[in-house]
This record gives sequence, C-alpha cells and structure tokens, in this order.
Amino acid sequence: MTATSALASVNPATSDAREPAPAGRGPALQRGILRSPVYLALAIASVISILPFAWMVIASTHQTSDLFGTPLPMLPGGELWENLARLQESVNFSRVMFNSLAIAVVYTVFSSIVSIMCGYGLATYRFRGRGVLLGVVLVTMMIPMQVLLVPLFQMMASVGWIDTYQAVILPFLANAFGIFLMRQGFLDFPVSLIEAARIDGANELRTFYRIVLPVARPQIAALVIYTFISQWNAFIWPLLMLNTEDQYTVPVALNTMIGMSRVDYSGLMLGSLLATLPLMLLFLVFQKQFVSGLLGGAVKG
Amino acid sequence: MKARTLLVPVAALALFSGCTMGAGAPSAVVLDPDAKVSGEITVWSWDVAATALDRLGDEFEAEHPDTTVNVVDVGYDNAYDKLSVGLQAGSGLPDVVTVETDRAPGYINEFPTGLVDLTPVLGDAEADFDPFKWSAQSDADGALKVAPWDSGTVGLFFRADYFDAASVDPSSIETWDDLVAAGETIKAKTGHTLLSADISTGGTFQMLLQQQGIGLFDDAGDITITSPEAVDALTLLQTMNEKGLLKNVKGWDGRVSSAKDGDSAATVEAVWWIGTLQGDAPEHAGTYGVTELPAFEQGGARTSNNGGSGLAVPAQAKNPQLAAAFVDYALADADNQASMMATEGLFPSYLPALQDAYFQEPLEYFGGQPVYELFAEQTASIPAITFTTDNAEASDIVANAVVAAVLNGADPATTLQDAADQIATATGREIAE
Repeated sequence: MTATSALASVNPATSDAREPAPAGRGPALQRGILRSPVYLALAIASVISILPFAWMVIASTHQTSDLFGTPLPMLPGGELWENLARLQESVNFSRVMFNSLAIAVVYTVFSSIVSIMCGYGLATYRFRGRGVLLGVVLVTMMIPMQVLLVPLFQMMASVGWIDTYQAVILPFLANAFGIFLMRQGFLDFPVSLIEAARIDGANELRTFYRIVLPVARPQIAALVIYTFISQWNAFIWPLLMLNTEDQYTVPVALNTMIGMSRVDYSGLMLGSLLATLPLMLLFLVFQKQFVSGLLGGAVKG
Repeated sequence: MKARTLLVPVAALALFSGCTMGAGAPSAVVLDPDAKVSGEITVWSWDVAATALDRLGDEFEAEHPDTTVNVVDVGYDNAYDKLSVGLQAGSGLPDVVTVETDRAPGYINEFPTGLVDLTPVLGDAEADFDPFKWSAQSDADGALKVAPWDSGTVGLFFRADYFDAASVDPSSIETWDDLVAAGETIKAKTGHTLLSADISTGGTFQMLLQQQGIGLFDDAGDITITSPEAVDALTLLQTMNEKGLLKNVKGWDGRVSSAKDGDSAATVEAVWWIGTLQGDAPEHAGTYGVTELPAFEQGGARTSNNGGSGLAVPAQAKNPQLAAAFVDYALADADNQASMMATEGLFPSYLPALQDAYFQEPLEYFGGQPVYELFAEQTASIPAITFTTDNAEASDIVANAVVAAVLNGADPATTLQDAADQIATATGREIAE
C-alpha cells in the first residue's frame, strides 16, 4: 500500500480523477507485478501436473524399446496404430472397455439411488435409532478392504457368482461415503420446502422425486462422478471376481500386460490413456455441478 | 454426540465378528498315477507361459479324447492376489495354477493342505529335473507341491566390444577376483563400469549366496548369513563399489535402461534376459556375449538361479486327476519342454529337454555364440538351497544390510551379524554356528 501512495505522489496529475483510466493503471500494474510470482508458481505447477499426461501420450506412440533409450523421445512417434492393434489383440481392449463401461454405469446408477435415498432418509426423518444407524454406516468406512476380501469371496463362491458382473457390482452398492456425502448435503435442505409439498398433498415419494431431487442436483452430480470414478478404477475386487479374459475390466486387463521378463509399456500407456477418456468426458459434463456440490456443504455447514 | 461415539466401537466389533472366516481345509487329495482321465480343467497362467500351455492344451486334447483344457491369462502380478484369496477361502481356484519358484515355498508352507502332492505322478522323474527347483518346490517332507517348469539359470552377460577395447579375454575369467581385475582394466581403458545391478533389493547378494550353495537359512532352519560365504559375497559387492566398478540401478526398468545405455561391461542375469535383450535392446545385436558366472574359488559352482516357475494343482481343483496328467504331459516331457523353449522362450527345468538340437543353435544377437548351450550345461549344477516361511521377512532385513555395506561402506561381517540378530529376534530362529 505504501508503494501505491508513493506512485501517486510522484505524478499528482493522475490522481486528479479527471482521467480515471490512467489512475487505475498504476495499482493494476502494481497488482500484476505483485502477483507474478503466484502466476509463475501456478504455471510451473500446471506444467508439472500435465507432464505425466503428456508423457503418456508420447509413450503410447512409440515402441516400448524406444522408451528406455537416452535421450527420451520428446515428440509423439508413429507407432500409435501398431500399439492400438497390439492392445486390441493382446487383451481384446474394445470388449474390455465395454465391460468396464457397463459395470461402471450400472453400478453408478444403482449405488447413487441407494446413497441418495439413504442419505435423504438419515438427514430428514427423525426416528428411533437414527444415530446408531448412521454410526453403523460410518463404521463400515473404517473396515479395511483386505478384511472383507476372503469372506466376500466365499459368499460369492457359494452362490456361484464367481466370474459374473453382478459379483463385481452388488457387494459395494451400499457405499458408506456416498451415503454420508448425501446425508450431509440433505441436512441443509430447507425443511419448509418439504412441508409445503406435504401441505399441497404430495406423498413422500412424490415430494422426494419432484421437490428434493431437482434442488439437490449439484450434490448428486458430485456423487455420480465420485461413484463412477471409484468403480472405473476399482482393481482388486474385479480382479478376484473375474476369471476369463473377455470378462475383465480395463484395470485388470491392463495389469495382465505386465509380463515376467518384459513389460509392454507402450501398450500399457495407450491403454491407460484411453481409459482416462471416459473420466475426462464425465468430468467435463458434470464439472460445474461437481465443484459447487463439493463446496456447497463446506460454505453452508 | 457422546452417546454416538460410544456406539461406534461396539458396532465395529459386531461387524468384525460377523466376518470370521469359515475356510474349511479341503480333504487331502491323493493322486492315482494310473487313473484314466476325462473331463475339463481350467489353467491359470500368464504372458508367454499362458501361450505355451494353450498350445500344449490343444495337443493334449487331441491325444486324450473327452478332455478339455481351458487356459486363462490372469496376468503375472494379479495371479498371486487371486491365488492367496482362493487358497484362504478354500474355493474359487481353477485346476492348475502357475507359481514362481521364489513364491512357491511361501505358499507351500502357508497352506500345507492347499496344494495337491504331485509326487505320485511326477516322482519317477525327479532325477530328470533341475535339482534346485525340485527341492525349492517341495515341502519339508519331500512331497512335490509345485512341478518344476522353467529355470532361471544364471550366467554372466558381457559386452564383447568393451572387453575387446580393453584387450581383456572374457574366457580367461574364472573367478570373481579375475573379473574385478578385468573390470579395473576396462574402467581405465573405456570408462565403463564393470557391473550394473540393483543393490537395494538384496537380490544380487542372495544370488551370490546361492552360487555358494547357501540360502538365508540352512536345512535345520537356522540363519546362515553370518557364514564366511555370506561375508565373502557381501565383501565382493562392497569391493566392486569402492573401486567404482558397480553401477547401482533401480528396479526392473533401471536394469533395462542400463543395458540399453551400455553403462556397464557386464550384468549377472538369468537365461530369460536373452529375450529381454533381444526385445528391448535390439540395437546392441552382435555386441553381447555370455560366459559362466565367475566362481568364488577355482572349481566352485559357476551358476546360480534367478526366477523360473512351476505348475501346481490346488486341493480344491474339481478335476485334480486330469490336472496332474496335464502337468505331467507339459513339463515331464522332453519334446514338449523343448518346444516351449523354441516357441515361447521358456528355458526347461526338465534336463532331458536340454539335449534338444535347439540348444546348440547359434544366436545372431550374440554374434553367433550358441548361448543356450552354456545355460543348458549349467542347469543341472544350480546349487540347491533351503527356503522357510520366514524368507520374505529375512529378505527385507538382508536387503537393508546389503545397502548399508555396499552403498554406505559399513563392515560386511558386522553388518551381517546385526542383520542375523534382527532376523533371530523377528522370527525366533537360531543363528547357525
């Protein structure tokens, strides 16, 4: 601030308020200079975060043997189609992509329904044992996956569901984090809106569907993105459940490309690159709602 | 709020008690070597190994009517997660699984009833297999649990052009001392280090131990890393590093990069490194040669083992009889084992297969040297060592000791004594006299 006043005193004409534009330029320039280290740091940070992605693109267009040479290839090469053909041939990538999409979409739809309804119920209805129920839901978040693997595996084996999609989807439909996220969101939901609907004669389901859901869209968008990503990236459970190559999901199939004495890195990179595309698409579609959904609770709470 | 926080641990307890495992040990399966086989089996494998079994599966079906062999590529890293959970749960596993030699002792000890004893079917052929594989993949009572498939016979891969430039004759190298002396000449003349190795895993050290016929534990299960042989091996690595002859690389990718960059004049690798070099470093064709590992003393063993795998039949297999018959067909047969070498590059543990003409063929990549012949000759001489349930834990402690001595200059004998004490505390085992 002292710097601003110093500038003003050097050239009193500019502070005359008759020409507002030059008057503003001083402080604006000042602010720009002051902020430039911030921009520089941000620019460096964005380069750092883009670099692995750029490397993924470059690596997926070269032969694996080129990726270990010095100097490292810095520009995309001409092996993209060969890599794609090999990826398709070795893990049936198009089929695997379809499996992953089908599983993730079905899971996202049903898990979101469970989370939204459960969260809504826990947030807006007052009933005996509500706190206990919430506690039980939260406790399931603290059980490490490793503890669940063997018992869940036995359950799936005993109903004969090994190597089926339902075995991948069903056990994790009730997602504690999703329920909690929804419950926190619905805590801030204006009760008067629900009461107004009741007075107008809407039953509970109608109120939920017509009044609550439209208003809760941002937090639902956040939930959908979170749920989809978690299922899309899921590895250990699909790995344990799926036993035939044509049933694999993308992460499981890509992992089979890591061989004993050779690793097909260019194929892996291409596969990983293609696997991020649906996520990017999803995020672009829901981006606006996603940010406001996650931040909404933070500000109001 | 108070009441709720109290409830949480109670609920957690209730949930955990609901998760107690009900894994019943499957009843012991006893194989009948003369049984007539029929039906269907599923085989889990990975990579080229799966390709090989798929090919042999078709031939097996043709020779044995009414049988079906399904081979699934479950991926290399993945296989162990699936295998561990399946053995723990007592269900969900196929009829045949692939297990690496390094991992076999862990599974054999951890799940004593989890894998079928293959001795009734394969026992007659014991003398025909790589002796190290057979002992490492059998349990303490001598029951073969994982049938030996391919061997990781170790040799010294060297850059013939670097040796030439320094006027060092590779065939004159017989002991590690010879190699270190040669390394100093090469370093002075060409500037290249002698050896690229990943020191931090302790793998190179354990390989040098096995070359001298000792593991981390002896037959009685006592800790052996304070032995003079162990001190020699660690001192050797330390000496090389102090003389600037060692290029320490990190992990698998580091090993491949170092070979591509031509950092060092030599690497100690197993026979399957041939495939890695040809695939990932085609530009170095004609510059490589292979010789036996230098001995610690004149006349000592000149090889060791690194890697390799086998096939096992889980006790929960639906058709163990057919599974064992297929394992026998694929692994205890000279023609089939040799075909897996020629087609998929899997180096046989079945010694009669090593007589095949394929192993005498010169390899262009190695300037026309018939390198497989060298590995074939050495396979029967791989020293056998003992594995215990504590190998994994001991390996971590040993790796730290190796780093301390080689990279940080600690005294090898003292470091190994400390490591042995640590292993003794951690595992409750004695230190061998």
